[in-house]
Amino acid sequence: MGRNRWNLPDLGFGIGLRTVHYSYILANHPPIDWFEVLSENYMDTGGRPLYVLDQVAERYPVVLHGVSMSVGSTDPLNLDYLKKLKALADRTRAHWVSDHLCWTGVSGINVHDLLPMPYTDESLRYTIERVKAVSEILERPLVLENPSTYLEFGTSTWSEVDFLSTLAQEADCGILLDVNNVYVSCFNHGLDPDAFIDRVPADRVVQYHLAGHTHKGTHILDTHSDYVIDEVWSLYRRSCRRTGGVATLLEWDENIPSFEVVHAEALKARRHRGLPEPDLKRAYGT
Amino acid sequence: MAPDLGNTQQWMQAVILHPGSDREAVASPKARKLVPASQFPRLIRPSRTLDSFDRIGIYRGMYLARLQEALEADFPGLLHFLGRKRFSELVRGYVDRYPSRSYTLNRLGDRLPDYIRSSPGIVRQDFLHELARFELLMSRLFDAEESPVLTPEAIAAVPPESWETARLKPIAALSVEVLRYPVGAYLEAVRQGKTCPGTRRKNHWAVVYRRQYALRWLDLSRPAYRLLHALVSGVPLGDALSSVLKGGRQPVGEVQLFSWFRGWVTEGLFQAVELEDPA
Ligand SMILES: [Fe+2]
Repeated sequence: MGRNRWNLPDLGFGIGLRTVHYSYILANHPPIDWFEVLSENYMDTGGRPLYVLDQVAERYPVVLHGVSMSVGSTDPLNLDYLKKLKALADRTRAHWVSDHLCWTGVSGINVHDLLPMPYTDESLRYTIERVKAVSEILERPLVLENPSTYLEFGTSTWSEVDFLSTLAQEADCGILLDVNNVYVSCFNHGLDPDAFIDRVPADRVVQYHLAGHTHKGTHILDTHSDYVIDEVWSLYRRSCRRTGGVATLLEWDENIPSFEVVHAEALKARRHRGLPEPDLKRAYGT
Repeated sequence: MAPDLGNTQQWMQAVILHPGSDREAVASPKARKLVPASQFPRLIRPSRTLDSFDRIGIYRGMYLARLQEALEADFPGLLHFLGRKRFSELVRGYVDRYPSRSYTLNRLGDRLPDYIRSSPGIVRQDFLHELARFELLMSRLFDAEESPVLTPEAIAAVPPESWETARLKPIAALSVEVLRYPVGAYLEAVRQGKTCPGTRRKNHWAVVYRRQYALRWLDLSRPAYRLLHALVSGVPLGDALSSVLKGGRQPVGEVQLFSWFRGWVTEGLFQAVELEDPA
């Protein structure tokens, strides 16, 4: 049974904390294992979002997940951002802090997208140093997610999975393996998702993401707008066999259904890990 | 020679931000300087189903869609007034001039009121500028620090002789506003899906604030505005009251003054009474 090298805990089966569910969560304290929180939504506010987050962090384990670290960008690191991120992680007693293997802009501009890296020796060397610097500032290992990508650079000399794995080993960071993103990127680039899953170093994986997507025929968009498809569940099972299973999180960001529906989708992962599915009706007392 | 990481990123950003078509973006002088158009199909590999333009086009399309979605959420009044098509054109022009420079999309609209005021050819420019300013104010107050609220016990503890020189500290999530259009009523109608009131010019005064994490506003008479404005600016209570009692065209009675004051305290507009240092 694989165990990640930091002994970060298997938090169980969680979902992303979303505004549409705030009132429900505060009123019902649903029986969910943990929440993942979008860091940037809580960094510059003293209003309701922070109030809700404090309540949630009081009752549930929390992990911070960001989209603006831009760890692969050639711009200088945003120290103000990292300081606020660390403060938020301390405030919520976050089990870990994650972001994506990507860049989000240069020359001070933020495109607000997870832009793909060229997988070259140069960018690998560069990103290793950046990840080390960030981990030092945050005083905790950084966990990086494989994003969904829609293009490939002709200059790349590494595969994405080998680039990510080498980065994780060399910079000593964790991997948030987004199984849906593996499926999406491999479809978009004509690659074999099983081969991707099999090459990820199991002891680096501290978390999974699962989500639905939008198939456009010619390509797939990572929209987090639907149920997880069977092929993605199968990749999840395949990876769990290698890692022994780690903290698992379902993302749902568009057309978000009720809390119970999102939670029930997350709990399907238990079955795929060979664990009994709880009686949700009983858990919710309905 | 293959472009290095910095060049590749500068190039890709230039292409994503370009307002024209995918082809125009790749052929733009800025992009061409970083990656000659002839190298483009080699830099961005085609897939089985999409050519290089289609693939970069996915990122270009998502860029504008994401920014527009964020601004729609923060400026529902503007969106309602302009309709989606004209709002979209406004967003395009705005983000071309002021691309996001923040790690959060919550700050994306910070310069939208300025942009509306300074851009020629915008219909109902004055009204839209004020509506945008009001909506931006609402989102700032939404995120402002939460303050404690002045309690009846704290008021009772103030020695009567100290009120004259006492200052009232407002909560952080509060702003006293002079408005020229009925933007508050307009926004409320949009939010509730009701018929929007007229948008003709109408000078008025209001206090916008957050209470129990919900945004609200109260219309104020002109003298009430003057008093509240003085108080939140840190003028001692005695001076603020006497300036309103003496000045202005409409005479104000003491009973009226105290009724306003009580109402504002009950609404939680103040967080503390600051007494003058006895030394
Ligand atoms: Fe993800």
